[in-house]
Amino acid sequence: MRQVKHSEVLTVGVLVLLFAAAPFVTGDEGWLYLAALIMTWSIFALGYDISFGLTGLLSFGHAAFFGMGAYAASWAMLSAGLPFSVGIVAAIGAGGLSALVFGFVGRRVSGLYFSLMTLMLAELISIVMTTRLRHLSGGVDGLPGVPRPQAFGIDFFNAANFYWVIFALFCLTLAFCAVLKSSPLGQALRGVRQNAVRSEQVGFNVGALRLTALTLSGCLSGLAGALLASLMMYVSPQLLGWKMSGDVVIMTLLGGSGTPVGPVIGVTLVELLREGLSATTEHWYGLLGVIFILCTIYLPEGVAGLGRKLWRR
Amino acid sequence: MSTFVIGLSIAMLLFLLSAGLTLIFGMLGIINFAHGAVYMLGAYVAYQVAATTHNFWLALCVTPLVLAVVGAIIERLVLRPIYDRPHEFQLLATFGLILVLEEAVRMIWGLQLRSIATPPGLSGSVHVFGTDISKYRLFVVVFGAAMVALLFFGIERTRLGLILRASSNNAGMAEMLGVEVGRVRTAIFALGTALAGIGGAIAGPMLPIQLQMGFSVILDCFIVIIIGGLGNIRGAVAGALLIGMTRAYGQQYAAEWIDIATYGVLVVTLLVRPQGLFGIRLRTA
Repeated sequence: MRQVKHSEVLTVGVLVLLFAAAPFVTGDEGWLYLAALIMTWSIFALGYDISFGLTGLLSFGHAAFFGMGAYAASWAMLSAGLPFSVGIVAAIGAGGLSALVFGFVGRRVSGLYFSLMTLMLAELISIVMTTRLRHLSGGVDGLPGVPRPQAFGIDFFNAANFYWVIFALFCLTLAFCAVLKSSPLGQALRGVRQNAVRSEQVGFNVGALRLTALTLSGCLSGLAGALLASLMMYVSPQLLGWKMSGDVVIMTLLGGSGTPVGPVIGVTLVELLREGLSATTEHWYGLLGVIFILCTIYLPEGVAGLGRKLWRR
Repeated sequence: MSTFVIGLSIAMLLFLLSAGLTLIFGMLGIINFAHGAVYMLGAYVAYQVAATTHNFWLALCVTPLVLAVVGAIIERLVLRPIYDRPHEFQLLATFGLILVLEEAVRMIWGLQLRSIATPPGLSGSVHVFGTDISKYRLFVVVFGAAMVALLFFGIERTRLGLILRASSNNAGMAEMLGVEVGRVRTAIFALGTALAGIGGAIAGPMLPIQLQMGFSVILDCFIVIIIGGLGNIRGAVAGALLIGMTRAYGQQYAAEWIDIATYGVLVVTLLVRPQGLFGIRLRTA
């Protein structure tokens, strides 16, 4: 077991408390929606970080896992009329399965080839869903009316009640990532990132480890997709587009990949930027691009890395 | 026959872009994600020049120069600080460039569709072998073929090409022998973006100029260079021909399946020969 740093535990704890406190501080639906959105995207970014931060697989195709999760949940709930919990399980399964397929196709390629391959496979799925499977995906218009859970007589269409569902899953994801990172499996994945050849020589099955990491990452991405669909009560092929993959890459890297809170910080920053800047300038996405470039050049470890440097000082 | 010429013209366009991509990769070791955005910028610049001067040929000459300057600036500001980083960070930096370039184009030209008028003398079509072939497409084919020849000659037969190849093979050794590798890298990147600019300019009269044009074509280019082998210009020619023909004939006979078929070619290539059909890998990715 890797020794858990106190600073990491502290930051994660503060973060969870902040999100837990949000509904008590403000009853405003808009702010709660924003906080729920941040947690949903955080699950996605945390999932993404299993692939990039932990294992070193730079994927540009995570939108496929995310979008397929959203669609699987929507189909399960809308067409089959199954309950929310089954929809979530279906989403996790669909995300994991698509990741497994990606991993299988790309099992012989690594590095840049892997990035390009994931980008193009995701684009293929996006095209197929938008054009060939229009009757299933709702085409460009998407499918409206994705339901929220119904249980125990609680009204989950109330923003605050649904907030707690997302909060619970967010905490579970944080815990899952923490356990994974300190487990022997996490240790092995870190080894693959640092030196794949050496890991292979030591006796690890690098291909299987990469496939496992990508699948776990896909499972969490699918979960996030289902939650987003349920939060927006709407799903469209846009969720499968490359901009989604790009967004999650930006968020994870900006916050700091490979750290327990980095992805969450990145998501929070980007969402707040979006909220703050889109009111004053319509060109905020270009500005985000500039920030992102500066960050890759001067802050390769992200905001969390900067925080860590200051902490040590 | 007309489908064949259309396929060739698409192939030439793809080649101009993939050649830039693969040159930049071969010499700099960087996959330029923003290459499609640069191509789009090229198309808009060409549109602007053509719209103000009413002269397509002037646009075709000016665009690569403008884009070369843009490329040199990008190389200096964005890429130079991160050559010794892992490949992932270089990919990420160029990904950020896409957002910046797209936003810049949106700010200057807006969201409207633009188009460049076909230059006089090349509008209309010629009648060959019982079919009508667009004169402009024929021009694109001839022009593209000339560019292929020029590039091969430049890289393999001239002193400048020798310096380029030396710097890509072993930058440290080339530097010891008196080559300013930093400048060579700037030049290569500028050359690549200039090629993309030419691509944007000649695409102007064939395709609608819009923000999304860069992304759809860059994916095809990635397929081309993966099929051809990264960093391999000969492979890029073959890959461009293969994808160009698949697109043209697919559009003719099975328009609905064309994207799926194109990506299918890629998936099969990755499964069977991940190093590309013509790949002799000098550098590892």
